[in-house]
Formats: sequence, C-alpha cells, structure tokens
Amino acid sequence: MTEEKKPEERKKRRTATEAAAKIGGMAKAMTIGVAQAKEEGKPIASSFICCCYDEIIRAMDIVPHWVENYAGICGAKRDAQRFLERAESENFSRSLCTYALCGLGFDAWREELGAMPPESPWGGQVKPDMMLGSGQLLCDPRNKWFQAAQHYMPDVPVYDVGLPWPQYEHDYDYREVQDYYVKYIVEQLKGLVVFLEKHTGKKMDWDKLSELVDLTDRTWNLIWETYDLRRAVPSPMGTGDAMNTMVPLSFMMATQQAYDFFKELNEELKRKIANKEGEVPEEKYRLIWGGGLPSWFALSDFNYFNSKGAVFPVETTYRMVEAIYHFDIDLSRVTDPLEHIAWRWVKFWTYWYDKARKRPGSHPDVERLIQYIEDYKIDGIVMHEAFSCRTWHVGLIWQLNLLKKVYKDMPSLILESDIVDISSYNEADTRARIDAFIDTLEAVKGKQR
Amino acid sequence: MKNQYFAGVDIGSTMTKVVIMNQRVLAEVIGPTGPEHRKLANRVMEEALTRASLSFDDITYVVATGYGRINVPFADKQITEISCHARGVSHLLPGVRTVIDIGGQDSKAIKLKDGRAVDFVMNDKCAAGTGRFLEVTAEGLGVKLEDMGRLSLEAKNRAEIGSTCTVFAAQEVVSKLSEGVPLPDIIAGLHEAIASRIYGMARRLKIEREVALTGGGAKNIGLVRALEAKFGYPVLVPPEPLLTGAIGAALLGKDMVKKAEEKGETLPRSERRLTEASIFE
Repeated sequence: MTEEKKPEERKKRRTATEAAAKIGGMAKAMTIGVAQAKEEGKPIASSFICCCYDEIIRAMDIVPHWVENYAGICGAKRDAQRFLERAESENFSRSLCTYALCGLGFDAWREELGAMPPESPWGGQVKPDMMLGSGQLLCDPRNKWFQAAQHYMPDVPVYDVGLPWPQYEHDYDYREVQDYYVKYIVEQLKGLVVFLEKHTGKKMDWDKLSELVDLTDRTWNLIWETYDLRRAVPSPMGTGDAMNTMVPLSFMMATQQAYDFFKELNEELKRKIANKEGEVPEEKYRLIWGGGLPSWFALSDFNYFNSKGAVFPVETTYRMVEAIYHFDIDLSRVTDPLEHIAWRWVKFWTYWYDKARKRPGSHPDVERLIQYIEDYKIDGIVMHEAFSCRTWHVGLIWQLNLLKKVYKDMPSLILESDIVDISSYNEADTRARIDAFIDTLEAVKGKQR
Repeated sequence: MKNQYFAGVDIGSTMTKVVIMNQRVLAEVIGPTGPEHRKLANRVMEEALTRASLSFDDITYVVATGYGRINVPFADKQITEISCHARGVSHLLPGVRTVIDIGGQDSKAIKLKDGRAVDFVMNDKCAAGTGRFLEVTAEGLGVKLEDMGRLSLEAKNRAEIGSTCTVFAAQEVVSKLSEGVPLPDIIAGLHEAIASRIYGMARRLKIEREVALTGGGAKNIGLVRALEAKFGYPVLVPPEPLLTGAIGAALLGKDMVKKAEEKGETLPRSERRLTEASIFE
C-alpha cells in the first residue's frame, strides 16, 4: 500500500561553508512557517521560483508557499515516491514534471483525507488561498500545474502571470522589441496586483513595494559579488553548497533575511580565501555544473566528486541573478516599481545576447558557459539530464556540442536521472560514470602537464 | 621489464575476462559472470595462471576493471573500464579515435586522443542499445545468441522493430514470428534497432575515424554491419573484442610499474593470495 511506504534513509551531505550548513534549518523553518501563517489567518499563495512577483506578494504581506521547493524537499528526504504514485493513480503521466506530480499527488491526497497525508515531510504542504502561475517560456507546468491543482481545490483562485522575454536571434538586436515586452509584463503585474487586492481585501502598499524592489536590487548585486568570489583557487564553495544557498536566493528574495544571509556568506568566503581554504584539501579538477537541476535525493554525489579532488566553483543552475550595474540601462532611473521589476527580468534573460552575437554560430546559453569556463578556470563540464524536466533540460546536449564547436573541446559528463523520482537513479552506475569522467580529466590534464 | 608479468581482470555484467601479459598475451580466460564476483575472480585468475604456467607470486601487478572491479580482492589497483578500453584499443588497433563498447549491460562510446580517453558517453539506463536487448530477444526467438549475427546476414527484407523497450521488443518479435516474418529478417531488424540506439548515443561525441567496436556486441557480425551502415564506413574489430578491457587493464598496470621504476619507487601491491571469498560471506 502506498500509504505504508517508508522513505529510504537519507544520506547526510557535507557542506563546505558554514552558511550553507544552516540552510536545512532555514528551509524547514520557512516550510513550517507557512503552516503557522495559515493558522494565523494570513493569506498563502502557491508560487513558483523566479516568478518575478516576489516583491509584490511580500509588499502585500502574502506568504508564499514555494511548490517546487516542497517537491524538492520530498525528493531530498527520499519520500516523494508515494506522492508521485498518488498522482499516477490520478492518471497523470509519469513523464510529466515530477515537481508538479509530487505536488499534485500531495494535494489530491490531502484534499481526500481532509488532513495532511501521514508523516508528511516537514508538516506538509498547506492548502493555499490562491495560486499564482508564472508562465516562463518553455516551462508548461508553470501554467498548467495550478490549473490541474484546481481539480482538487476548485475554490482556490489562480492568477497566471505571463513573463515572456525577447527570443535570441543572431541577426537582430532584441532592443528593437524590448519595450513591448516590458509593457506586456507591466500589464501582467498590474493585473496581479488587482487580483491580490481583490482576494486579500487589502490595498497594495506602493512605498513598501518600492523599498522591496530596492532591497532586491541590492540582494542581486550582493549575490553576484559573493558567487564571483568562488573564482578563487582553491575555490571556497562548490555547487553542492550552491544547491543549498539557492534557498534564500530563490525562495527568500525581497526579504532582509536573504540579504543578511548572503552578507554572511560573502564574509565567510572572503575569510576562506584569505586562509587559502578550499572546498577540498587538494583541488585537482575545477568543474562547471553546466546545466540541469540536481537530483535532490543524491546531492551527496557532490561529495563524491570532492573525494576525487573535483570541485565546482560555478554553475548555471540557480544562478538566477546578474549584477544590476552590469545591465545596459540604469535601473535606478526606473522609479515605477512594476516597470523596474519588468526591466530587471527582461535584462536578466537577455543578458548574454550581445556576447553571443559577437561569436559566429554561438548562442547566449553557450556564451554564458564559455565566460564561466574562462573566469573560473574550468577543466570539465558536468550536466544533468533530468528526464521529467523539459524546461531547463531541453537542448543541454546541443549546448554542449555547440560549446565544443564554437569554443573548444573539453571533457564532459552527462548524468541521467531526475529531480524527484528516485527510481530513475542508480548510485553505483552514477559513481562509475563519475570515476570514468575523472579518468578523462586526468588524461587531459596529464597531457597538458 | 623482461621477466615481469601483468594481469588484467575485467569483471563485466555478463562475462569475466582475465589476461596475463608480458610483451604479449600469455594466457586468457573468458567465463560467464555469476553473482559471486569474488569467487569467480579467484577462479578465473587461477585458471589463467595455470595456462600461463606461472604462480601468483610471479605476477608483478594486477589491475581490475569492469563494473565488478571492486570485487577483485587481490587486485593492486582498480581502473575504470573507460580507461582500460582506451588503452587496450590503442594497443591493439593504433590510430583508432573512437571506441564503441557494447557490453552486456551497458554501452559506451569513448573518444581517444594519443591513446587516452578524453571524452565518453554511456548508456547504462536502458537495456535497448546493450547486449541485454539481443539476449532477451534471442530467447524470445528461440535462437542462440551467438547465431544471431550469422542468421541476420541471410535477411532479404529487414523487419521494422518499432518497440524501443526491450521487454516490448521481445513481445513484438514473437508476434512477427507468428505473422510468418522470416527469422533472419526479424534478427536484422533487431540489429538495426540496437545499432540506431548506439549510433544515437555515440553521436553525442564527435565521431572520428577510425572507429573500433569492442565488447560482446562486436562479436555479432550482423550488428557490426548494421553499425557500419550507420557510420557509412567500415569499423575495426579487435581479434577478440571481449578481451580489450582486460588487455588495457594489464597494460595500464605495466605503464604504472614502468613509471614508478623510472622514479625509483615501488608500487604498493595486494597480497598474492587467492582466498575463497564470496559476496554472501
């Protein structure tokens, strides 16, 4: 019986930084805090990562429940299978996004019981008061998930924010059309404010929103500067830790807590660099996590890489910020908070376009990899093909091949599994692949020596 | 290095291979891998020593490879099969740039540069594209695995095998048989299906000539022909493709000893004792 299944024992993972070690407690407090807020009668909104409405909901004292995060927690605790199976028994295909399946399975089960499913990780996922879709190009669950969730919660309203950005074309400048996109997003956000005011019975505090927009700008800059410190040799922090620090980055944006966290991390990294304290005692290979969400149930694989002297000073995953002062517009002059938010995201998504146009045959995603490979002195590239995620995983192999074509050949490793579904994972096979990859790195480095 | 002997032990998912070498291969043993890797490793090593007329103490260095490499208690070193295949092929077929290894449980493509593996891709997730696919379908057809290659060359009109899943493909071939499709046509269709999967995987690397096939799949002439059709040119196959990894392992051991001697160092060795150990003990 599904209900009787017990989660597999979870392996403890070592973090390189003290800051990252605190994340488990922070994430747990955040999850439990949503249930407490619900009990206190505060409005709860199911929300998506990189939604671009962080400041808006925070300004209206709406408590976000991050649905992808909760599915990731279930995955990390190796307790997602029973929710996936529940969704499957509702006839959802197993090849859909397993974040969505886990969340939908959980919601269906909770609504059927009228209570949290037994032994729900960290107290469970509460029934929200509203669900805020966040359409991103490619990711269909960000539109469809909450529509499907309404099957089980028909009384919970959904607002679907559209957040498009100009697509990359090598032979035209996206600036020709960027104003249209900003205008569209601003209209979407205005509609969101109206929706939230209607369902909370509370008016937007525009001054507070402006303050949070400013705080978010400062947090983006701080995160960029903090992660940039990882260029140091030896690198003081790896992708394994970044898969922790993505919590304040992605789920606490527009809060003082996120800013303070990165301030602390920044200081810790500077200390480590001054002491020449790396992620591993003897750094042999510097790798980039070049794409793909991680297998949340197998983060200890990062420790396995470390045991071979391999570190990840940089990753493209969950590095969803750029330094605001690197943008080609002065955002401080955009005083309307909704316009400011729209410009920030359009500039984020188009950040690598100009660079790509300068290199024949290149692409923004590839340019980003190239820049990181050079900045962080990278020896090899690792990607993860998570079978159930079509959003971020579409074209990873293509990116890798293009990188090798327009830039240079380098050892690469493609891991294959999933974000949440542990049945797709085999530790022995994964580690055999890592061993073989280390061999190829050594062969290439050996030739260079 | 005249009187030095090197052993390579390759414990694959289906077959276990051992070679003992000095300047050339002195003894080779190939046997099926069972559940008790350690016991098997001991047995094949013993047999190889007998065939080479050597005692275990005569062996300078032992390298284990393959997915069961950690279960070779007497090995001095464990090295991944990627490195061992690369070394083995470079020795047997110099000039090869791409190796396709078709094993019983996985398949892989390895890119070589100056005799070393510099990139690779692997399929260990799905039986389609591995020897297991042919094993399962051969059973469904009532044909011996070793006869499939020869039979497929008699095909007049290759059957289309639509199922990529091994289990469904096994069902599909049975229904094709009942429809009266000739056996050689079905087997040729199976080879085409597996070749497509392997070629698709290998294309992730930039395939460069010359291409060598190793592993049990390389002993199947029908599969070799199907892959040659995909590549558009002939591929090379070592005299005994099953032994490539074991030979590479022995040679890597030899390389390591030579390097250590040049530095005036001695490599640590395991005890030269074949204990009767079992994974169940």
